[in-house]
Amino acid sequence: MRKRVMVWCLAFLSCFLFASASFAAIPKDSLVIAADTQILISLDPAVCYETFAAQITEAGYSGLTHIQPVNGVLTPVPALAESWDILEDGTKYVFHLRKNARFSNGDPVTADDVIFSFQRLLSIGKSPAWLLEEIGLTKENMNETILKEDDRTVVLKTKPLAPNIILSILGGSWGGIVNKKVVMANETNGDFGEAFLQDKSAGAGAGPYEIVEWKRNDHILLRANQHYWGGEPAIKQIYIKDVPEATTQFLLVQKGDVDVAWRVTTEQAAQLRDSPQKGVKLVTVPSQSNEYVAMNAQWGPFKDERVVKAVKYAIDYDAIIDSVLKGFAVLNQNFIPIGYFGYIEMNPYKKDVEKARQLLKEAGYPEGFEVELLTNPTQIRMDEAVLIQSNLAEVGIKAKVTTMPASEMYAKFRQQGHQMILAGWGIDYPDPDALAKPFANYRVKQLAWRTMWYDDHAADLAEKAGLELNDERRLELYKELQEYWIEKSSFALLYQPLDFWVIRDNLIGFEEAAAGYSITFDFTKISKK
Amino acid sequence: MKLETFIIKRLFLMLIVLFGVSVVVFVVARAIPADPVGAILGGNAPIELVDEMRRRLGLDKPLFDQFLDFMSGVVRGDLGVSIKSNRPVIKDIAEFFPATLELAIVAALISIILGVPLGIFSAVHRNKLVDHFCRVFSILGVSMPVFWTGLLLLILFYYRLGWLPGSGRVGIFTVMPPKVTGLLLLDSLLAGDFGAFKDALSHIILPAVVLGYSATASIARIMRSSMLDVLRQDFIRTAKAKGIGRRLVIYRHALRNALIPVVTVIGLTFGSLLEGAVLTETIFGWPGLGRYIVNSLLLLDYPAIMGGTLFVAVVYSLVNLVVDIIYAALDPRMRV
Repeated sequence: MRKRVMVWCLAFLSCFLFASASFAAIPKDSLVIAADTQILISLDPAVCYETFAAQITEAGYSGLTHIQPVNGVLTPVPALAESWDILEDGTKYVFHLRKNARFSNGDPVTADDVIFSFQRLLSIGKSPAWLLEEIGLTKENMNETILKEDDRTVVLKTKPLAPNIILSILGGSWGGIVNKKVVMANETNGDFGEAFLQDKSAGAGAGPYEIVEWKRNDHILLRANQHYWGGEPAIKQIYIKDVPEATTQFLLVQKGDVDVAWRVTTEQAAQLRDSPQKGVKLVTVPSQSNEYVAMNAQWGPFKDERVVKAVKYAIDYDAIIDSVLKGFAVLNQNFIPIGYFGYIEMNPYKKDVEKARQLLKEAGYPEGFEVELLTNPTQIRMDEAVLIQSNLAEVGIKAKVTTMPASEMYAKFRQQGHQMILAGWGIDYPDPDALAKPFANYRVKQLAWRTMWYDDHAADLAEKAGLELNDERRLELYKELQEYWIEKSSFALLYQPLDFWVIRDNLIGFEEAAAGYSITFDFTKISKK
Repeated sequence: MKLETFIIKRLFLMLIVLFGVSVVVFVVARAIPADPVGAILGGNAPIELVDEMRRRLGLDKPLFDQFLDFMSGVVRGDLGVSIKSNRPVIKDIAEFFPATLELAIVAALISIILGVPLGIFSAVHRNKLVDHFCRVFSILGVSMPVFWTGLLLLILFYYRLGWLPGSGRVGIFTVMPPKVTGLLLLDSLLAGDFGAFKDALSHIILPAVVLGYSATASIARIMRSSMLDVLRQDFIRTAKAKGIGRRLVIYRHALRNALIPVVTVIGLTFGSLLEGAVLTETIFGWPGLGRYIVNSLLLLDYPAIMGGTLFVAVVYSLVNLVVDIIYAALDPRMRV
């Protein structure tokens, strides 16, 4: 009997020893990232819309412009277009393509490719299409508005908008130019190559990297584009390994089996911040989203501005940032985030129970009232909701927290069926217009409309600022709008979150690569010691 | 009843079960108070875009029509197109199922190799140290949550000891063998690539042990109780009275009879390993079908949910059918 047991044990042990791992070190010219890739839908610039997918897609495809932080402000800078002229009161843009612009298969980037890319985006009509429509290019008018002057010159006839709006929109991942020849050679059933480009770029992109393959739930492989107009990047290969569990990501980066853990939990990040470890470090940058509480301006007590203001004074913003976000957020009570054109630091609200009570008393609610606070059941949102609930209770407002799946919550919000909602806003393009419209202009039927804050002065200012061609006058308009909005609006903005990564300490330039406030990520800035 | 008649009857019953599964999954998926289009486009998408996508996906049709569309596709072998991946669901399943199947096979092998001997030792040495150990091992196996066991073993064998890799099916720099079956262990052997085989084996050990632990515990418990039952039978006493050696009595007389209920448990366990691998797949970054279905659920990707669930139900039913047929072949009384 003992002999048999020994045989079993030996068999198992030998199997284990045979299989035990021999780990290969990551080469100096390769970058391995552990990330949860389940959010990805497509890596086609005409389809992808989510932040992480857009960051990968931008590595594969260059646009006419590129978004880059300049003196801390996100700014559209030349990319495939080395320069442009703005004519006819901001309604005609003439883009001059670089002579050395080539796709990863060596084909030159021509005006035909640019025109094809924009017309393809509009014809496919997926999520990002509305951004081109926003600047006046539509499926119906695209033959008259997207024009070729010569092989290296493209003309766009747009709506009369502030240039920063047009150039910022063109700098998004959806503005990536595709190789017409390659795409049309792989078209199936009139899909403009949508199925082909879903998981690879295969010579169709002119970005710093070629998207070699995306094996779903497994990995994405990028390889340096030797024809890249900006010069071949230092990192020759990027391997994005699908690791859905944050703890596994954290362990992998600590062991050195990956260079970057793309999304660890706030607890893990806080642990590393508070007790630094050898070999790894934490990188943080402000994110491109913000968290808000919206009060339905046409519902009961919130019809009175003083009640809205009482809520703003009741909330303990610092406690939310410190205890729920573990410090991974910055206080920003305005709708323009840090890092955006027009941002001004203005945080007038601090928890002040007495002031809140006084305002409620003046409004005729000395005993408070009952209200439903709607949110979706992520851990952070629920923790925030509970904290806000207790803050409101201190001033006499009895908030009942109702949670529901995000899609259901937003459906209710779209129907203006909320009393009070705790939610977030992801920004589509890095211009204040992308925020002024939803938060201040009810006429575009976005957040201000949903929360029934029908303020014509705010809407007029938002519209005027969006049309202003002069940057200085535009800044003034946004300053006026923000000062008015923070005083009058039905929103309490809580914070701007921070994005964070855990990286190996031999990476150089990661902070610079990530400095695009998550709306853009520049892999070309990264190298290794 | 003849064996052939029995099989035909079971196949017919299987079809009814699968239809029932389709109805239940369809109704439950639609009963979730959430909007799949909203889940995909996000809460901030313009309402026109939401309506357009709903029309494009056929979600504006009456529920009954949507169900009929789905069922008529199933009959033609078409499970629809995934809303998320924009690819035929059947193609997605073909991509992800081999990883789950391979994991389930190795986990089942581990659970049988460990569970059966543990159950035997435990029964033969009843109330002794080895029995107590086996019982504690079994109780822990059935009661410890998979994600907890998974993270614990990951920290120990990967992070602390560095003996086994932490994530994925193969190493990043391993060249994959040509795809034949999709089972990497088998494909690497077929290609004669022992380096890839070793790498794939090292990657599968931890997730398979985690996945197989609770199955090991179940098999050990059933094996123990079945063995104890058999050891109390008259024919065992008679065998002992005849002077047959202890080992012969245990392994030749008792074990063969005690294994019958264990075969059923192994069959059922294999089915549950196939459909229950999602947490293990998440912890170890294993690109399997479980994660595909759960991701589809989170996005309310109806075609993927329906197709994936129906596929798992088919596999589960087939495994049960095979177990029933083996049983019926062994014991004609089962054919009634």
